[in-house]
Amino acid sequence: MTPGTEIPPVERTPTAADLFMFSAAAWLVHRIHYDVPFATEHDGHPGLLIHGPLQGVYLMQTAVAAMRPRRLASIMYRHTAPAHLGDTLTCGGTVVDAAGGLVTVEVWARKADGTVTTEGHAVFEEV
Amino acid sequence: MALVTNEARRWAEQAFPPHTVTVSRTDIARYARAIGETHPIHFDREVAVAAGHRDVVAPVYFPYTLRVQATTLAGDLEPDGSSSAEVPPLPARRAMAGETAIEFGSDICAGDAITIDKRIVDLTEKHGRSGPLALVTTEFTFHNQEGDLVMRERFTRIYR
Repeated sequence: MTPGTEIPPVERTPTAADLFMFSAAAWLVHRIHYDVPFATEHDGHPGLLIHGPLQGVYLMQTAVAAMRPRRLASIMYRHTAPAHLGDTLTCGGTVVDAAGGLVTVEVWARKADGTVTTEGHAVFEEV
Repeated sequence: MALVTNEARRWAEQAFPPHTVTVSRTDIARYARAIGETHPIHFDREVAVAAGHRDVVAPVYFPYTLRVQATTLAGDLEPDGSSSAEVPPLPARRAMAGETAIEFGSDICAGDAITIDKRIVDLTEKHGRSGPLALVTTEFTFHNQEGDLVMRERFTRIYR
């Protein structure tokens, strides 16, 4: 894993059922993720919001699959634009550093129009 | 007007009591299904044990579900469905997500008793283009029944 190596992009298109299951698994009651009139008419969004933490999970899964068998030690990310039900998120990344038994990967999720919705970096330990 | 009042500073300095949750196979299966994990080590105890685990293994970032459920149970529901237990006493109308930083430790298996410790590690006021902003950074630390760290998470919310 040398710096510059790209990890294979993975497309994720969560359905309304996926958003519901993620809210339910966490007992997260925030209405913008399941209540369409609340999300649109009240909060002014174009549709249900894809949870930021779910996008974080997609980045973790994408990076873990590409970096196996290395262990995911840490990740940091920030949300830079909203993602809504119906959006396909392409998750990918690039190795930016590999030294001292650690590999750092820049990770991102972007919509079909190229807008980055979540970005950050993950650190893996060689095993 | 300052967003961060003395009331908010007292809120940020409070000690939140630790909360312990025992993880079930159902909890793990539901979360695995929600994030699209299909490997049987998350669903089938025999497969997980044959692979060297104590029981079915929780997928990555599972502790998030434990802390959200604990927060939902700790407060009343606000009109938008969020828990009053996560809302700081700030005269702010909008909350936005800032940075999240997560450190991963030992795996969680069904039957583990996970203790969650919460603290507010930072409360800062800044002045943005649209006026004052308050940045609240919360840290959740998760340990198992052996005292091993399973995850530490810090995230920032921006209020204005």
